[in-house]
Amino acid sequence: MKKLFTLLALTLGLSLSAQQYMTRQGSLTFDAGSPLEDIVATSNSATAVYDAQDGKLGVQVLMTSFEFKRALMQEHFNENYAESEVYPKAVFKGKFEAGRAIGALTIHGVTKDVDVPAKLDLSKETAHLVAEFAVTIEEYGIAIPSAVANKIDKHAKILVDCKLVAK
Amino acid sequence: MMRSFVFAFLIFSAVQAFGQEDDLFDLFDDVEEVQLTYATFKGTQLINSATNETPGEGVLQYVIAHRFGSFNDDYLYNFFGLDNAQIRMQLDYGMTDKLNVGIGRSSFLKVADGFIKYKLLQQQTGAKNVPVSLTLNSSINYRNARYTDGVEHYTSDRISYLHQAIIARKWNRKLSTLVSPSVVHFNLVPTAQDPNTTAHLTLGGRYKITNRMALTGEGTIMSNREFSSGERYTTPFALGVDIETGGHVFQLHISNTRAMNGPFWMARNPYSASNGGLFLGFNISRVFTVKE
Repeated sequence: MKKLFTLLALTLGLSLSAQQYMTRQGSLTFDAGSPLEDIVATSNSATAVYDAQDGKLGVQVLMTSFEFKRALMQEHFNENYAESEVYPKAVFKGKFEAGRAIGALTIHGVTKDVDVPAKLDLSKETAHLVAEFAVTIEEYGIAIPSAVANKIDKHAKILVDCKLVAK
Repeated sequence: MMRSFVFAFLIFSAVQAFGQEDDLFDLFDDVEEVQLTYATFKGTQLINSATNETPGEGVLQYVIAHRFGSFNDDYLYNFFGLDNAQIRMQLDYGMTDKLNVGIGRSSFLKVADGFIKYKLLQQQTGAKNVPVSLTLNSSINYRNARYTDGVEHYTSDRISYLHQAIIARKWNRKLSTLVSPSVVHFNLVPTAQDPNTTAHLTLGGRYKITNRMALTGEGTIMSNREFSSGERYTTPFALGVDIETGGHVFQLHISNTRAMNGPFWMARNPYSASNGGLFLGFNISRVFTVKE
């Protein structure tokens, strides 16, 4: 009886934890470029978590992990726009439901509700999350000086590509 | 009894373990990432002194610097000193994100120079905690100006060196400071009693007043200011403002120095603010990304 109980507890534990997927090497690309200026950056160290049980989905990225082609642009991104020392992370916390990621997106300390299309390929071992959507930069309290207004796309495209593995 | 106790304990601890994972998003917090400190200073120079910064890999930088005439030198006649400006041009390149090499030419004593700068340590927090950035900087300077002492000079007489360690810390997003112990070596000094090598210590800082503007200041103390020939050199200092616009950094300042090469402004500055030896000046840097 006792053994059975232990076994039950163990299998229960295993089945529960097998529902969770995670990665710390997720890819996140940010594109606010315009015909005048190429402004693209990628982070390959985004954290993504997913729980198949309740559909909870989260993505987090360190602002300073975005790599630009130009060192100066990267510095300006962190220093003048994202203000990465004050707001080090961008975070999405929500759910994956019927082909959509629904939840709260926090960038630059401002939290907004988002509901965007997303794709999640689920297998026993992996979960592959792909999403592409746009954020309006000014909605997140990031001011674009008028001098560069025509160089920056006000609606930055975000491309999420994370391969999560079962925990 | 004992056994069931152990089982109960096991199950309890198992439940507890799940309890910790209860909120999936807690997983976000146990990441130990390295946060590199960036942009300790806006430019590769604070005012006269070098900062710990270098341009990134594949970045070509052009710096043009002016030091105008002094306040005690017929100021209005010389149009606020603009008529007798000293200039220095510098071209440097980021070989890697850490290694920077460059050349320069100054009208002050017609000094040509070459320098090499290497970022040895970068301030960081997180997984690894490094409280300061450390950059090494060395320059060789060749005086092209003719000697007027009537003595024939060797080529080596014209050469001087600067070697320094720049220790910088970004305290917060506004305040950054640096301390730079330096040695200056002149191959030629007035007499054999005078030291060829002198030690110097630069203290400097910047305080950002907006995202694109900062106040800067620096001063340099030295080990030897009196030379047997009667020259007495002063303590160089400068106050300025940094203005950043896209690929440019404008640095406007007032200082008691006119030379723009390390050994000369640091160890051979004859001007004194107390009798009007103050100069307006600026540095403008422009960067070009040569290799993406």
